[in-house]
Amino acid sequence: MTAVIQAALNGIMMGAMYGLTALGLTLIFGVMKVVNFAHGSLLMVGMFSAYWLIRLTGIHPYLALCIVPPILFVFGYYLQDVVIKPVFKAERQVREPLTVIIVTTGVWYVLDNLALMLFGAEYRTVRTAISNKSFALGEFIISVPKFSGFVAAMLTAAGLALFMRKTKTGMALRATSLDREAANLMGIDQYRVYNIAFGLGTAIAGIAGCVLIPFYYVYPSVGVVFDIRAFIIVVLGGLGSIPGALLGGLVIGLIESVFSQFMASTWTEAIIYAIFLVILFVKPSGFFGHKQDW
Amino acid sequence: MSRKQLDHTLLALAALVAFGLPLVVTSPTYLQILILLFFYAYLTTAWNLVGGFAGVLPLGHAVFVGIGAYTSSILTLQYGVSPWIGMLVGGLIAALVGVVIGLPTFRMRGAYFCLCTIAFAEGIRVMIENIDALGPLRINGPRGLLIPLKDASFWHYQFMSKEPYYYIILTLLILVLALTWFISRSKIGYYLAAGGEEPEAAAALGINVANCKLLSMALSCFLTALAGTFYAQLMLYFYPKGLMGLDLSFEIAFIALIGGRGAIAGPVIGALVLRPLNEFTRIYLSDMLPGLHLVIFGLILILVMLYKPQGLTAPLAALYDRLARKITVPGDAR
Repeated sequence: MTAVIQAALNGIMMGAMYGLTALGLTLIFGVMKVVNFAHGSLLMVGMFSAYWLIRLTGIHPYLALCIVPPILFVFGYYLQDVVIKPVFKAERQVREPLTVIIVTTGVWYVLDNLALMLFGAEYRTVRTAISNKSFALGEFIISVPKFSGFVAAMLTAAGLALFMRKTKTGMALRATSLDREAANLMGIDQYRVYNIAFGLGTAIAGIAGCVLIPFYYVYPSVGVVFDIRAFIIVVLGGLGSIPGALLGGLVIGLIESVFSQFMASTWTEAIIYAIFLVILFVKPSGFFGHKQDW
Repeated sequence: MSRKQLDHTLLALAALVAFGLPLVVTSPTYLQILILLFFYAYLTTAWNLVGGFAGVLPLGHAVFVGIGAYTSSILTLQYGVSPWIGMLVGGLIAALVGVVIGLPTFRMRGAYFCLCTIAFAEGIRVMIENIDALGPLRINGPRGLLIPLKDASFWHYQFMSKEPYYYIILTLLILVLALTWFISRSKIGYYLAAGGEEPEAAAALGINVANCKLLSMALSCFLTALAGTFYAQLMLYFYPKGLMGLDLSFEIAFIALIGGRGAIAGPVIGALVLRPLNEFTRIYLSDMLPGLHLVIFGLILILVMLYKPQGLTAPLAALYDRLARKITVPGDAR
């Protein structure tokens, strides 16, 4: 029983990482109605940025949290502005332009393989002061970097929710997500909103990269591990829903970790897909999704 | 010469070149590249029945290639059934699975449909990787299946040289193209196009959109599985990750989108552009810098979507139209 609870705790903390990745994906989908297939690659960019920053300057990993996300915001903002926006404009009349999905897939290929060209295929990790620290909670052991990741995920989700409710930009994002045409008529520049949404999603991937790097390893195709899970999570939680992404992440992490106590870990992947499909058929809008989106 | 005569002459010429190519290309390596080119063109044409005509974006078609390969190979290995018969059985199973997947998913909007097809395909792949034997059927998990060499004969679907494979896949490609052409001009083709563009409007006109989509899905899966058997017999070895992974599913969609979704010639043009590019950049560039060829691949994907979101077929067709007008007698075109 102790082992199961320990596994559950680990699962929840890893699940928070999945949820953090899914948060950016769900934000981008909610506003732009586009599944961003490059999202795992953006996480990879975030992880490599954090990795090199810490390796080269030797700063504390959590100090990177002040530097990497803003850089990634700018990166995402201009990626959407230069690469994705023109396709949107060409297919203005389509609600969910599928060509944009293909463009994001192209971005995925380019980013992953650029990283492969630049850094090689080996797994890299940084040993930091906190990498091996842990504390005891009763009879259970909790790793400090994983716990900090969990806290960062919660704070990011709360911050994003506040931003969406309280700021003018957040309201513009929500308005565009609800009704693109009506938002346009109210004087909201749809494409600038898209830039901001994509930038924010990328910045969140940067946050995830910073908190992952002390206990995870980075390699050019690391994004794929998180990508597929993030897709499942956002559908589980409801595409476009912030609490849904977080909750979905925790659920997937929990299932993965607890089930792997009882069976080969390759089977847990099959179970996750099965749960995903069951949810799609029973309640396609997920925990918190809008019915209109599916 | 009238326009119709010109079209027919060129088409006959293209067929003649395709059938005559093995006389010129004798190197097995290049012949293999051509075989795979036709293999991809065939797969994409089959995909096009759903992805092009029905207006959705399925991203899990590799799973049907896998179903075809596994069915015919298990039947051959364990029961001595000819792969030709196994091929048809595999096609029927794939069609059935396709309908089971299509029933709940065709209700969904674009993005959900995409993710759902991925989840189905990956779920089935992961399951196959985890199963060593299903009742009496030996699936062999992640190691895949190895088809032992037998006497080369048509019945065994094994040949000494590459040429027979070339002609088989060429024949399959021509048949599936003819079928697509036929469907695109039939009532169901128009129903599909209408349902893909404006489902509500089509339904209002009394078209049973869901049934049309299911029919096209079943047909598409059936045809895709046939290619799976072909691949198994060509390579004589396959494993789940290589055969049914997302890479193949995505590449089919890429070829279709670069060629032009919904255009009959789209898959062939897409394969003609992407396959040689893929093969040659991989051969010549990956030694220099690993990953460079995929960066180029991704960039081309992005550039085509940026400048020709409808694919390359439409501008090429317009170009041909202009040239043809100069050659043919004016006024004779109509």
